[in-house]
Amino acid sequence: MIVVKNVSKYYGNFCALNNITLELHNGVYGLLAPNGAGKTTLIKMLATLITPSQGEIVYDGKNIIHMDDEFRALLGYLPQQFGYYNNYSPKQYLLYLAALKGMGRKDSIRIIKELLEKVALSEVGNKKMKKFSGGMIQRVGIAQALLNNPKVLILDEPTAGLDPKERARFRNLLSELARDRLVIVSTHIVSDVESIANEVIMIKHQEVLYKDSVENICNTLAGHVYETTIDYGHLDAFRNRYTVLLEKQESGEMNIRFIHKGAAAEGWLSVTPSLEDVFLYEYRDEIRMEV
Amino acid sequence: MDIIYYECKKAFTSPILIALLLLFASYNILLIVSTSDRREELKVANQLAGKYGVGITDDSMNQFREDLQHDLVKLNEITRTDYSEAELDFFTELQLKEKYYEMANDIDNRYDQIDWEQIGESQINMYRFSGSAADTMKNEYIKLSLRFEEMKDNDEHKMWFFAGDPYKMHSFLFRTIFGHVIFESLIIIALAAALITNYEFENRTHLVAYTTTRGRRLMRDKLAASLLTATTVSVFILILTLGTYFAVFDYSHLWGSSISSALNWEYKLPYVSWWNISFSAFLIWSILLVYASMMLFTAIIFSISIFVKNNYFTFFIFAVFFAVALLLPGFIPASTNLIFIAGYNLSQLVMNPHMFLMGNSSGAMMFKNYEWITICAWTIIVVALSYISLRRFRKQDIH
Ligand SMILES: Nc1ncnc2c1ncn2[C@@H]1O[C@H](COP(=O)(O)OP(=O)(O)OP(=O)(O)O)[C@@H](O)[C@H]1O
Ligand SMILES: [Mg+2]
Repeated sequence: MIVVKNVSKYYGNFCALNNITLELHNGVYGLLAPNGAGKTTLIKMLATLITPSQGEIVYDGKNIIHMDDEFRALLGYLPQQFGYYNNYSPKQYLLYLAALKGMGRKDSIRIIKELLEKVALSEVGNKKMKKFSGGMIQRVGIAQALLNNPKVLILDEPTAGLDPKERARFRNLLSELARDRLVIVSTHIVSDVESIANEVIMIKHQEVLYKDSVENICNTLAGHVYETTIDYGHLDAFRNRYTVLLEKQESGEMNIRFIHKGAAAEGWLSVTPSLEDVFLYEYRDEIRMEV
Repeated sequence: MDIIYYECKKAFTSPILIALLLLFASYNILLIVSTSDRREELKVANQLAGKYGVGITDDSMNQFREDLQHDLVKLNEITRTDYSEAELDFFTELQLKEKYYEMANDIDNRYDQIDWEQIGESQINMYRFSGSAADTMKNEYIKLSLRFEEMKDNDEHKMWFFAGDPYKMHSFLFRTIFGHVIFESLIIIALAAALITNYEFENRTHLVAYTTTRGRRLMRDKLAASLLTATTVSVFILILTLGTYFAVFDYSHLWGSSISSALNWEYKLPYVSWWNISFSAFLIWSILLVYASMMLFTAIIFSISIFVKNNYFTFFIFAVFFAVALLLPGFIPASTNLIFIAGYNLSQLVMNPHMFLMGNSSGAMMFKNYEWITICAWTIIVVALSYISLRRFRKQDIH
């Protein structure tokens, strides 16, 4: 069990995370927040790459910084920018990392073979990585994180660059892995975690907004999400009055999904909120700024 | 152990490094082979040492004179004018032998004319030493003249060696050849150490490498790997270069000759080492000093790398460090001992390998304990530096 206790991180004067407190058990946690919210910052602290400016992170009651290699022996980590050596093959790279993880050569060779199969890279195991596509590199990254059969698996945007087929395969792999370990997956793609995360953590304004099951998070908007169809001409007025989540053009009219916290008008269809709705609603200011 | 092997491999699979290693090695071989035209003439010194023993004694000189006279008689018997090849060789050899005889005969005379305290005075004037610096210098020259007297008493300088004038074999081997070896090793070592240390940061794999079980301790392995690589590189260049050198030039009877041999007098002053050491001992000491310097440089480059995490900057900063240390004594007032303290640095040390352990040098280099003080002082500095950088790295945020 990992406990993040009142952790803040400053980059100089800039506060990237403020007073974060989290309790994490076995299972999959989806760390869901838009760009720049501090996902990577939190993950780097969990991976001991950076130290909290305030507070501490403990694993089974022990500060992970003091645990040092003892903690990292339990850790599998895929960074957001997964680097590799151009002239190494996946096998060479994984062998090197296995040595750094303190694994014997014989075990490593066997495990690497299994892992490359798991991420569908067996055939290119001996090819130099400079010829690999982004998705292939990312899969080497996933294999690398699993080398030491980690108790704590932290993946920073693992699905970036994966095609839909690989994304699905990856989700299956994750649910399989999550049975007896703690998995943290950061993403800003809702569908990546919606179906597999036991809990979703959302960060807003440098603080934890939600840490709850997908269902509970969706319920925060229960009864407030509607769909309706309006004339194209009324769109601007509508946008000004309500928080529009989704717009879809359909035979000259607009199909609109939106939020309203009050009495419903005629012709509105109340719908079950999805995680995407919550995401779009909560981060509407950040998202609008980006568009 | 595995990890250190992997780290070394990074250097030895670098094409630039391998190319430089081969280029430098072949350059050295070429340099030596291209000067081998003196080989035949040089054989005479070796022959003399073989025939009369390496020490020049009254007995051996008498024997030598008799043999020379015998040869002269033989020379006068040759009356024809169409000389055979063998006869021509005989002439030149005889001529050289006579020259060696004269040189050996003249040793006492020439050594008696040397007054080190006076030489010290002129050094002090030349470099404008004053105050405590001048006093230190004077003291050191008094010590040197005592050493010189001791030498004249025990005759350690009376040993056969290649005539310093004109061959200058000491300078060729210890200044030119060693200078090349040092400079070449240094370039490759700097490249290798920076490459090994920065490899993860340059390839953006640092986030993965430093979150493994080994974690930031990997840097320690990198230091070990850098030192090991530096050792391999220096040993490779040294063996190849010195191997070629001693294959081309025959020292077989001169290993035991003194490094302060009076025959080895190349320029204005004879070589006077602070200790009574043979040529072979001097060679070994030189190799050890060069090796120690290379290890220290490696650790310095390693520490710079930790701070800047970029190969080019590391290389550049190291070059500046090397040059500043070399020029430093020139910027310090010549009135205090600070000027000598500034001279106790590795750049000064490795720039003058032919003056290792010698008293007939200038500045701090001529001091009796210059070499080992420099190495010891810098070992302490470098160990502290490495410790500080490793500690700093352990606590540093890695982005
Ligand atoms: N090394 C750093 N120095 C200064 N500021 C930083 C540094 N790293 C991150 N930040 C800032 O901290 C904030 C959080 O960044 P972080 O990378 O943690 O966000 P993120 O949620 O991972 O974003 P993304 O989805 O784009 O990866 C951002 O505003 C970023 O500019
Ligand atoms: Mg990020």
